[in-house]
Amino acid sequence: MGFFDTILWPFQFVVTWILRICHEILTAIGLNETSGWNWTLSIVLLVLLIRAALIPVFVKQIKAQRAMQALQPDLRKLQAKYKGKKDQLSQQAMLAEQRELFKRHKTNPLSSCLPLLIQMPFFFALFHSLNNARGASENEEGIGQLTVTQTHHFADSSIFGAGLSDTFLGTFNSGSPQISVILISVVMILAMVASQFITQKQIMTKNMTKEALEGPFMQQQKMMLYILPLVFGIGGINFPIGVLIYWTATNLWTLGQQYWIIRNNPTPGSQAERELNERRAAKGLPPIHEKKKKAEEETPEEPELPKVQRSQPQRKNRRKK
Amino acid sequence: MTEARTQRDAVVPFIVDIPRNLIIGFLLGYRKLISPIYGDVCKYFPSCSAYALEAVTVHGAVKGVYLATKRVFRCNPFSHGGIDQVPDGRRIWPEGKLPKIMVMNHPPIPADEDEDAANAARGA
Repeated sequence: MGFFDTILWPFQFVVTWILRICHEILTAIGLNETSGWNWTLSIVLLVLLIRAALIPVFVKQIKAQRAMQALQPDLRKLQAKYKGKKDQLSQQAMLAEQRELFKRHKTNPLSSCLPLLIQMPFFFALFHSLNNARGASENEEGIGQLTVTQTHHFADSSIFGAGLSDTFLGTFNSGSPQISVILISVVMILAMVASQFITQKQIMTKNMTKEALEGPFMQQQKMMLYILPLVFGIGGINFPIGVLIYWTATNLWTLGQQYWIIRNNPTPGSQAERELNERRAAKGLPPIHEKKKKAEEETPEEPELPKVQRSQPQRKNRRKK
Repeated sequence: MTEARTQRDAVVPFIVDIPRNLIIGFLLGYRKLISPIYGDVCKYFPSCSAYALEAVTVHGAVKGVYLATKRVFRCNPFSHGGIDQVPDGRRIWPEGKLPKIMVMNHPPIPADEDEDAANAARGA
């Protein structure tokens, strides 16, 4: 076993074990054992499980974003302090002060990269399993937790005539390209690009404040909007159909999750917050965060008043500890 | 490593520095190409990749990677973040040759205009 295989081994164990259980359950409720749709659904269930396991992280992040309301006066002060200072060192100093501010308030709206890092080995494990499925099947071996028979089915499974372990490039370079593989890959890549694009566009058009829309962060967001489709395109033609199913499903989950956040927990001062308040007004409810905002407007010089209200989330924290 | 530095031979330091420079190259590429796509998500200052770059520059490949790995795990959804600098190393740079990442990671923080308000905020 190579270095990479050794690291991936535990993840492959988990991924193939979940796939096996899902496949057995789906077969028990009547899906054809050899059908590609059975494996496709198993992969989708794998995505649902992994993303569901990450829900606590997501909830944590929403709570932090809600607490951001209390930070607004301090953040505005910080922006005022660095207004017009566009040189790199000042920008760095501002970032440092901002991180320190988050720490002081014990709330950090940034997500960290761990949620993505954790998903990566699972993704590679699935990729690895699908890539090796053919070879293992021919050698009468099982992959991870899959039995030899299941590995046969896994390697030979297909949807609309496209094998789950086939890749766009593989069939393209094979001399006799399979139209079904090419078509399904292209459809999947388009679905991934579209879902990513919508997720990103949603954030940019609805969930950002005016200041953020004019800041340097916006440039980054715009870049992301146009570079990511390229990444998906290049990745997509190299990845087996099964991995594309995984990727599309996880993207759709993100899209739904993002839609939910923007609808129910919009960034203060964004378009989405105004829309939420309109919906609340229609139902006869007061605007979200109204009390806090009034307090800020009435006493912009005096930082004491908002702080009295700020003590509430702090108390909650203390109780938890 | 210290031996290599005391023998001011041109070849030995070069060979010793290969792993460090490979990692530095990789990190610079990541920060130039991938990091902007992923966006600003790190909870700490300096960000994890900036931390890693400084750690490897100052402490070398082995200890640098160890420090950076510890930092990535520290930067999880349940931490509060803040300023978290790389521990000081023994490496000394000649005047004006300080690596850019060291300058960027240690920006002078200007004093607040109304120090009282800042102190009041801190006291709350």
